[in-house]
Amino acid sequence: MSSATVLCQSSNCPHGNPPSRLECPTCNKLGIRGSFFCGQECFKGNWKTHKIIHDLVRSPATAANPSQDGTYHPFANFDFTGTLRPVYPLSPKREVPEHIPRPDYATHEDGVPTTELKRAGQPPRLLNSEEIEKMKFACRLGREVLDIAAAMVRPGVTTDEIDAVVHQATIDRNAYPSPLNYRNFPKSVCTSINEIICHGIPDRRKLQEGDIINLDISLYYDGFHADLNATYPVGEIDEDSKKLIQTTRECLDEAIKICKPGALFRDIGKVIEPIARANGCAVVRTYTGHGINDLFHTAPNIPHYAKNKAIGTMKPGMCFTIEPMINLGSHWDTHHWPDNWTASTVDGKRSAQFEETLLITETGVEVLTAGSTDL
Amino acid sequence: MDFDDDIPTLIEHEDKQLMPDSASTGRVPCTIISGFLGAGKSTLLRRILTEHHGYRIAVIMNEFGDTSSIEAKTINISSEDDPTAEKSQELLELANGCLCCSIKDAGVAAIEKLMQRKGAFDHILLETTGLADPGPIASMFWLNEEYATGLGRQISLDGVICVVDAVFGQQQMEEDHSVDGVGESLRQIACSDVILLNKVDLTSEEQLRSIEELIQRVNPSAPIHRTIRGQIDLAHIMNINAYAGGAKGLQSAQHQRGNNDNHDHAGHTVSSKHYELRGISSLQVTLPTLTRHRLQELDEWIRTVLWENRIPDNYHQIGLSELKVLRCKGLFVMESGEQYVLQGVQSMYDLSLVEGDVTGIPDSGKLVLIGKGLDDSVRQSLNKLLV
Repeated sequence: MSSATVLCQSSNCPHGNPPSRLECPTCNKLGIRGSFFCGQECFKGNWKTHKIIHDLVRSPATAANPSQDGTYHPFANFDFTGTLRPVYPLSPKREVPEHIPRPDYATHEDGVPTTELKRAGQPPRLLNSEEIEKMKFACRLGREVLDIAAAMVRPGVTTDEIDAVVHQATIDRNAYPSPLNYRNFPKSVCTSINEIICHGIPDRRKLQEGDIINLDISLYYDGFHADLNATYPVGEIDEDSKKLIQTTRECLDEAIKICKPGALFRDIGKVIEPIARANGCAVVRTYTGHGINDLFHTAPNIPHYAKNKAIGTMKPGMCFTIEPMINLGSHWDTHHWPDNWTASTVDGKRSAQFEETLLITETGVEVLTAGSTDL
Repeated sequence: MDFDDDIPTLIEHEDKQLMPDSASTGRVPCTIISGFLGAGKSTLLRRILTEHHGYRIAVIMNEFGDTSSIEAKTINISSEDDPTAEKSQELLELANGCLCCSIKDAGVAAIEKLMQRKGAFDHILLETTGLADPGPIASMFWLNEEYATGLGRQISLDGVICVVDAVFGQQQMEEDHSVDGVGESLRQIACSDVILLNKVDLTSEEQLRSIEELIQRVNPSAPIHRTIRGQIDLAHIMNINAYAGGAKGLQSAQHQRGNNDNHDHAGHTVSSKHYELRGISSLQVTLPTLTRHRLQELDEWIRTVLWENRIPDNYHQIGLSELKVLRCKGLFVMESGEQYVLQGVQSMYDLSLVEGDVTGIPDSGKLVLIGKGLDDSVRQSLNKLLV
């Protein structure tokens, strides 16, 4: 190892501040770099002044010692790549009224989507006209719920408050919020702020002026799932964020344009990646678009990056999503929070996403989740 | 009492790995080792681990890739200090949850995590169970190349090896249990890039020739190496680049004739060969040079066969003889002189341009398909396209 070049940080080191690999354990936990001392004596001698730095950096509250409003930060030792932090505790699990039909994973203890696993490897389903009508209706409901959620976005609102409204709006429509308990996801919507690529869990953090937030709505109605998302500015945002959001929307819109019977799923990424690159952005690779119908996630699998080996040709009656996740900068990697869901960029730079559920028709494509404004 | 005044004890600093650049291109090849029950896979692995090669090799045992029932898997890492990897057993930490609509396999993600923690391996050997069809595992690792992470070094699929018992192999191929109409040992042969015919000291030359001929007919593109107790030059089974596109894949595509040290199956080049045994059939076709338009047509033909499991001119071919390609390879020579390499496993395939100097390459291409239902109608369909 070549990094043993940090000198003893003592202000009065009797050994002349030699290089050391002995580090303050508290700083190590807090992610403060460079707190090296040549020995316990030097450390002790400097403790009174050194420990101040801990209080400056230490997160204000932990589960054992929550702050005045009862919130705390659950992953004190985690190496976050950006500035966003979770604000726990999460609100209690929201209930869905008995009479609303739900997918198999909703009642599974571990949230396992059994039917999805059982049907893995099968070719994409082609829906008949009756099924298509149901799919369209679910998607219209999805759009309504997203628009309601989006109208809440402003500084001071917590993502948990958005979740409460999404949950209520969904069950008001006799629909089940698809994310809830999917592989044990705890909430009814994914809220992904700033450097979060996707799958952010709604919590007690208040939105701040200048944030960007993605709201990912999925719901299940009459046996079919709808899935759509969009990224919104919170108040006034910086130029880079504006450009990121515009670029991401353009990536999705241009990709939708090539969809029609006979088009290849592998070509979608060839449309998206050049647009992202031309705008100084990277395309996330580990999350993809997916088939959607009576299953939440199913075949086909749709990469958003250019060089891919995706299988399949589009055919009338297929429903799937395109949902590019685009990062500022050149890193497409993801870094997962210890909640096992929240996926952040590896460099803390911002990420945006847009998603629509699409139907391949005899002549082209229909955006089932289209809003009135983005036509 | 003031906790802050309990001065903690200094700790040894551990270097955290710097964030790797997404674009960095180091490669950790992964070889999948399949083989009939009792053919000598474990002997081969032990030999590889104990040989003095100086590499850090991770050996992953058994039942990998079954994501629906993963709890914890063990992995052994051999290094120069501990070649037999006795002291280095690690548990793979398998994340849950976060893989929703993520295509990354939990097992592969766990290996990458381990590399981030323990430093990259030089090579990964993955042993499948005696009954496993290596196809799904191979396609999973191959797909993972597109979004591999792990110390900036990407796990890439190097190839599939099959260990065949020279004494009982033929009987196994002719009689074993069949799954979906195909003998399970034949699936392994079909999907392999290199075949090790083991225990050759325990049988006659005549029997060896007979089983080699059988293997060669089922899989005309894999070289066969005769071994005794798994003794093999590692160069024949590691870094074979069987799935690489471009120039590397070209080597492996050309390497298809059994030009190895033990024997030679080359000689009779026929423009198209076809063979079938217990549901597995193979088709080998020599291709003329192609125009760009012809290449597109051929690509469309391959798509239809691999994705739709039918030949393009037959929309209703269901039932009679089901068509399903398990492995395909090809080398396409263009009129312009450009070369394309085709690689495919199960429904997934990749056609990539060979970059750089392509001098000294034959002026005809070829296509090898191994799978089910590759009968005369398939050959005719292909011929019709090419003339």
